[in-house]
Amino acid sequence: MTARLTLAGVSLAFAGAPVVQGIDLSVARGEVLVILGPSGCGKTSLLRLMAGLIRPDAGQVTLSGAPPRPGEGAAMVFQSYRLLPWKTVAQNVAFALPGRPAAEREARVAEVLRLVGLARVAGSFPAALSGGMKQRVALARALAPRPDFLLMDEPFAALDAQARELMQAELLRLVGATGGPGVVFVTHSVDEALVLGDRVVVLSPRPGRIVARIDVPFPVPRWQADPHDHPAYAELRHRLWQLLRDAVLKDPASDFHRPEG
Amino acid sequence: MQDRPVATAHTAGRPAAPASAALNRRAGGLGDGLGTALLRLGFLGLILIVWTALARAAPPGLFASPLAVARAGWMMAAEGRLAPALAASLTVYLAGTGIAVVVGCALGAAMGMSRTLARTIDIYVLALAATPRVAFIPLIIVALGLGLQAKVLIVFLGAVMPVILNAYAGVRAADAELVEMAIATGAGRGRVLAHVVLPGAVPYFIAGIRIGATIGLINTIVAELYTAISGLGGLLALYGSRFRMAEYLAVVVVLALIGAGVTEALRLVEKRLLRWREAG
Repeated sequence: MTARLTLAGVSLAFAGAPVVQGIDLSVARGEVLVILGPSGCGKTSLLRLMAGLIRPDAGQVTLSGAPPRPGEGAAMVFQSYRLLPWKTVAQNVAFALPGRPAAEREARVAEVLRLVGLARVAGSFPAALSGGMKQRVALARALAPRPDFLLMDEPFAALDAQARELMQAELLRLVGATGGPGVVFVTHSVDEALVLGDRVVVLSPRPGRIVARIDVPFPVPRWQADPHDHPAYAELRHRLWQLLRDAVLKDPASDFHRPEG
Repeated sequence: MQDRPVATAHTAGRPAAPASAALNRRAGGLGDGLGTALLRLGFLGLILIVWTALARAAPPGLFASPLAVARAGWMMAAEGRLAPALAASLTVYLAGTGIAVVVGCALGAAMGMSRTLARTIDIYVLALAATPRVAFIPLIIVALGLGLQAKVLIVFLGAVMPVILNAYAGVRAADAELVEMAIATGAGRGRVLAHVVLPGAVPYFIAGIRIGATIGLINTIVAELYTAISGLGGLLALYGSRFRMAEYLAVVVVLALIGAGVTEALRLVEKRLLRWREAG
């Protein structure tokens, strides 16, 4: 059976203040779901729920039928890389593989480092790497235990535009490979959502609710054909922008004002 | 880091050294190893010249020149007066400081990990840290007598406080994002502690040990003066009371050398443990 990550009627509050409300979502292994929303709409909280780091106040989160547990089935990738600076690149990747025989662990570390093109810096410390390289190490660490799902929290937001595009293509190549994991990708970039997602859900500002679900029609594999040239790209982009803009402008807490007052 | 930038001239020539290392290298001027050694030797020469001038100006019997001190030190060593005192002092010092490092790191780390423990005892630890430990010496003598145990306890009490407080601060300062990352990989409490919290606290541990080692050396001499007079402290009392300034100062120089040696050893340990900061 294909692994599936499901949220049913999920709500969460911090100290009485609702963060997300009534979220219904489902992702299958091999699929890329993008969660698009303005800052503070609870995107990160959704990922933490999916990782099993926190539990919902209402509703259910299940990974292949059972509540998710950290380190089992889903792996996180963070915007700030979160590499252990006192460990080498190889040791950082190996950190996600505890309790395995040394030979097996070393082989898997070498394999994923080759996959992300970083075999030659296996012995370096993170301080010696560029931002793009650090994020590739973080990606290798997440892929190492062969998770069913990657949970990615604005992972490329700290990279420069060029590195970001390269990493997007890299990610699509890695997950597009046969047996690749499912991806839940959180972003506030409309373009990133359209380039990466098979499906996009748009969240409202806090408390986050799903305001739209959109199937992205571009041909796969998208790392080979640039979706920017697709005729539907501009139209979809405009629609997503409109949704995001309306959501932000409707938010009473927003700093922005409607043009017409 | 409290006291010393870790990236120093030693990173010169490495490929992708961080900006701080590059800055140090530029600002260092004569910052390479040989340049530093020459500068230090030159400064030592200056100290010796000033010292000699002061010794000549001082009334006889109140001060001694570097040459006289060196001669006295040599004689004390040759006649076997120095070695037993040095051994006695080092025993007290290393035992007291060593126990303080082990106990201090363990207790400080435990306080950093357990809110309940920290809330319960931190006020007592802070109160004890603020009390002059010399005040306990009469009590210690009543309880343990004048021997080695009493001396080691006096050194321990002085050295342990900064170790506890720094270890506590270091564990509490653990990077919450890295801890969350570790938990997300399925790591339990022990694994988070061993791979994330403790390695991140190393600079704090070393800063605490550095201060503790200094106070430990001071308390070694205090202990040797206040309990059964012995060791280098004993020699200080002996020569000081008889105005034998050359011998007296020779003992002071030996103490300074112990302090410098310990500091340098800790610096090497720190450099080894924190080499990941040097972008290698």
